[in-house]
Amino acid sequence: MTACAIEAQGLQRRYGEVVAVDGLDLEIAEGEFFGLLGPNGSGKTTTIHMLATLVRPSAGSARVAGFDVRADAVGVRGRIGLVFQESALDRTLSVAENLRFAGRLYGLTGGEIERRAKALLELFGIADKFHAPTGSLSGGQRRALDIIRGVIHEPRVLFLDEPTIGLDIPVRRRIWRFIEGLRQRNRMTVLLTTHYLEEADACERVAFIRKGRLVTQGAPRALVENLGRHVVEFESADVEALLAQAQPTLGRGLKEGNTALFLHPHEDTAPLARLQEELGDLATAMRVRRPNLNDVFLWVHAGADLPGPRP
Amino acid sequence: MSMMRPILAVLQREVLKLGRQRTRLIASMVRPMIWLLVIGSGFGAVLGSAGGLSYQQFLAPGVLGMTMLFGAMLSALTMVYDKESGVMRMLVIAPFAHYWIVIVKTLSAVVSALLQALMLLVLLALLGYLRFAAIDIPLLVLGLLLVPAACAGIGMLAAAFTKTLDNFAALMNFVIFPVFFLSGSLYPITQLPQWLRIVATLNPYTYGVDLLKHALLTGVEGRFAPEFSLGLDVTVLVGFTIAAVTLACVRFSGEAAFDSVIRVLTGKKAG
Repeated sequence: MTACAIEAQGLQRRYGEVVAVDGLDLEIAEGEFFGLLGPNGSGKTTTIHMLATLVRPSAGSARVAGFDVRADAVGVRGRIGLVFQESALDRTLSVAENLRFAGRLYGLTGGEIERRAKALLELFGIADKFHAPTGSLSGGQRRALDIIRGVIHEPRVLFLDEPTIGLDIPVRRRIWRFIEGLRQRNRMTVLLTTHYLEEADACERVAFIRKGRLVTQGAPRALVENLGRHVVEFESADVEALLAQAQPTLGRGLKEGNTALFLHPHEDTAPLARLQEELGDLATAMRVRRPNLNDVFLWVHAGADLPGPRP
Repeated sequence: MSMMRPILAVLQREVLKLGRQRTRLIASMVRPMIWLLVIGSGFGAVLGSAGGLSYQQFLAPGVLGMTMLFGAMLSALTMVYDKESGVMRMLVIAPFAHYWIVIVKTLSAVVSALLQALMLLVLLALLGYLRFAAIDIPLLVLGLLLVPAACAGIGMLAAAFTKTLDNFAALMNFVIFPVFFLSGSLYPITQLPQWLRIVATLNPYTYGVDLLKHALLTGVEGRFAPEFSLGLDVTVLVGFTIAAVTLACVRFSGEAAFDSVIRVLTGKKAG
């Protein structure tokens, strides 16, 4: 059995009356690429803050890289890398100066920092920017520099909180190739939060949280398969009426704008055609497709019970 | 882990930044010059000279102190309030206890103020406001270290115990100006009305200016002479700095002390 990089038991955080994280249990193996997913305000960020020792848990315990987040916060901080939505870079300094500053905070020597910085910049393909002012970098390059800043001390666990937010698709892909390259080089554990669920597909395991509680977790493919064989979408001018009429046949559905979504666990789609006939004009269009991670998210968000056994 | 490298990193960055912010540097030289030339001439006409010392020469320790006061306090305070500062963000997630942030920022405030004071000293010497024969070099060195340390201490206290000092104007009006005006920088405090004299006696910065007078105005007698003993000046400055930095360390070790920085990093309120 592999050692745990992150383990949390009954982790809880209250802000006055509000319970942001409510008894979260997590076990993330060393070297694992793990995604923490959930709607805004679900407690993802508070969870990361507690694991990164920036916020103290109100109850429960957690160990990160073998250190207790309460008893040895400094020990934890020395072995993790943090990349947040907002960059932690000094714009008045150059690329090299930023990395030298960051590296020295972790006790690295100038020589070590320069060697690692050049190798990491090379990996992202911006080795020529070593002496460039940070302010002159493009959005994607700055994000890459922020990630390099987060891994210059070769952390055992890297926290990536929405690392690609605000970047366009080609740049996001490039950042992901970079992160993949880093994982292969350093074999570090990565804990990711993201809104872009197609990015979480690359995770080995994901956990969905809602209102501070773990709803489901597992390999992305297994979670998607758990939803069933098909997702059925009906477009309608009166979604509520359609939901009421279709629910006896298809079970509970979700309303997304002018679309009603249902899970259809069976391979046989013949009943769907019959249903469409029954609905008549109420359904202006019907689509049957394979489910994806977005659907898992939607069902978690809606608070609907997920079908199938929880892995 | 030794704190040597983190401390050096912060100090080096402070020096780099000072060198790059030319306007800030020029302002820190121009401000005391305006006081010397404009206020000095005006007050000098009223107060005259005493003990062979012109009012402007009396003012030299005060403006030297002013440069260190502004330099050290701005450097110390921006750390806490500048949520956009990448350096603060890196310090908050770095692998040492958060009270170290107070210590390294105090040190870098001292270095920043010291460099600005050295430049001003050169400028004052060139313009003839220094009486070389009256300078006590070891005391001046002591003053150049203790005064910025106490000023950084005032800044750290202000940072630790207020939540609303989030802009430059508020800082100037409610912290830096009172500390400057309610000291012996512009006038001997023995000539102030009693209540002002009491306030000035409670102001640790008063003893900093007095120490600078000991260093720059040796042998001066009369109303422009230093007003406290050297021993008292040094004791107050050292004692105050240690107490202020310790209090700030305790305060910034507490939960949620760096909440604003952490929240900005996340790009939203904790969710």
